[in-house]
Amino acid sequence: MLRICSLLLPLLLLSSSGITAQIYGSNTFEFQLGNLPFEDDRDYSTGYNQTNLYYDSGNISLFGRFEQFLSPIEERNYTKFTQKSIQFQDDQFRVRAGNIYETLGRGLLLRSYDIPGSVFEEAFERTRYAFFRDLEGFAADFTSDLFEIKVLRAQPLFNPLPPNTLPDSLRRPDLAEAIQANVYLNNELSVGGILMRNQTFGSDFTNYGALMSDYSISDYVQIFGEYAFELEDAFGFNSENDAYGIYLGSNFYRGSFGGSFEYKSYNNFRIGSGYNDPPSLIKEHTYPVLNRSTHVLDTGGEHGFQFEVYYNFDDGHALTFNISRAVNNAFLRFEYIEVFLEGLYQVNEQLSVKSFLDYANDELKGEENRISLGFITDYLFSNGSGVILDLQYQQFDREEFDLATGEFQPNISSNVYSSIAYSFSSDFILAGILETSTDPQLTDDPTTFITVEDETRFWLGTNMLYRANSSNTIELFAGKRRGGPACTSGICYEILDFEGVELRLTTRF
Amino acid sequence: MKSLLILLIFSSGFITNPEIPNFRLKNLDNRTVAFNSIKGEQFTVIDFWATWCKPCVKSIPKLVEISDEFKDQGVQFIGISIDGPRNLAKVKPFARSLGMNYPVLLDVNSEVMAKLSVRAVPTLLIVNSDNEIVYIHEGYKAGEEIEIRDKILSLLGE
Repeated sequence: MLRICSLLLPLLLLSSSGITAQIYGSNTFEFQLGNLPFEDDRDYSTGYNQTNLYYDSGNISLFGRFEQFLSPIEERNYTKFTQKSIQFQDDQFRVRAGNIYETLGRGLLLRSYDIPGSVFEEAFERTRYAFFRDLEGFAADFTSDLFEIKVLRAQPLFNPLPPNTLPDSLRRPDLAEAIQANVYLNNELSVGGILMRNQTFGSDFTNYGALMSDYSISDYVQIFGEYAFELEDAFGFNSENDAYGIYLGSNFYRGSFGGSFEYKSYNNFRIGSGYNDPPSLIKEHTYPVLNRSTHVLDTGGEHGFQFEVYYNFDDGHALTFNISRAVNNAFLRFEYIEVFLEGLYQVNEQLSVKSFLDYANDELKGEENRISLGFITDYLFSNGSGVILDLQYQQFDREEFDLATGEFQPNISSNVYSSIAYSFSSDFILAGILETSTDPQLTDDPTTFITVEDETRFWLGTNMLYRANSSNTIELFAGKRRGGPACTSGICYEILDFEGVELRLTTRF
Repeated sequence: MKSLLILLIFSSGFITNPEIPNFRLKNLDNRTVAFNSIKGEQFTVIDFWATWCKPCVKSIPKLVEISDEFKDQGVQFIGISIDGPRNLAKVKPFARSLGMNYPVLLDVNSEVMAKLSVRAVPTLLIVNSDNEIVYIHEGYKAGEEIEIRDKILSLLGE
């Protein structure tokens, strides 16, 4: 702390001399009382608090994040200053130190992220903490009309470990050093390159490079590409052991029509502890039945494409078509293919109807003929309130092991998501959610080894959201909430099932 | 030392309304731009959105209409996409096909979103010429564009 204060002191002295300054930030408090599924019936109350504090004065910015988790079990608790950073920035130059975020190129070699407001719960100890992967170190960048350059030396966070499990130094096993340069040859064409090296747990450095380009063929068509590789394997991507990532794409639009095509190929491309987190191949959905059926990228060996087109009609209707395919070949070959169609129909000023139809085959999960469909109506009453009815259904074939016969038997599983939400306004919403599943992987109680439960599982919950004003929001959940994989902003993680009451207070100041 | 630090922070002078920092983000042409270089003379309307955000598909065409109505009165609209690298390729055609004719910036690492305490999309902020946030609107349902338009009108009338 003394060292931080010594560093900040001259900056604050400078910044406090006649320059207006401000402190602002946000606070999130979350209280839970409840249980995980199949757990002994014991109430477990926990509290989590996160404070984000910013200080701006002229070109100088300071940031600090403070997190606290409290539960009845002492060793799971922590109170920590989990992030701090200082930044100087003018119109062209920026230098940052501390806990920072940076993405190199299109994120093949290095991507860091923060999902504001998200609270992650670790499965083993049920410790909660903010979900981010930052870099701790130093970064600087300079931008002009002709070129852009950035340098960094930082340790990415290995975020599957909660803050109280290991000291922060051990949660950052990797050290990345990189320089990126982009040159704007004209208004249409830019080229660039990255040199990066990584060290994990003090081992020898591994060197990486990347080449990238963006080209606007016309006002309506743009193409781009990035090839990232381990320097020892440069341009030798025919070998099975070579480490590389390729991302080629194009986007296009004309009037109300738009679309994109992307091709990606990754081979042996896990850098360090896996912090590079390159873009995955398939579409990210927001519909619950599809969002949790996501295909998680395997950087060890995967290639494929995604093609999407859409048309936005003048009267508010919209149509989207997407097809994507990913082939895993790290050890065994698995193919994932998905076709998605979505329509939005604006019946009138008060009523809109949205529906989707999705077909997929996921060999890795053993899910064949996975059909998902949904129907969502949004009705606005004349007094400004509204009601949204959301019905989604999914079914797939997957062979399940039959204990009686000792063989795999064909089985059809289904998932249902239904919700009804009544909004008095955008500031006050009440919702009820009912989900069911016949998926044996979810219906089976893992604590009973011999019996395989196959009764349909139900999750019934209620949500309330109330925005008291622009600074304060209250969210209340009561009931059972279904967990599983979830993806937000291209980041996928695991949400735990929960049964109980959860209160969240968010304050902006 | 700690006391001195706190004293200095509190002696630096404060602003009642939160002020938008002069952040820098890339635009749809892959060029970095500073907020101050594109903000409106009187007011700037900042709309946080994403390609995967369903209410955004409904709100954006309405915001485009409001932007067209007020663009000659010193009101500049700016769209900030929070799409990450996974969805970045879709942002430009998505924005253009929805008619977004105002600057669109890319907050790939959600840094600006976090700094402005934006927790959901769509979230709309109105910022005055001193960069102070004077209005925040979270979420969107049909008809709320009228509230946003009325707010701009009342701010211009002040």
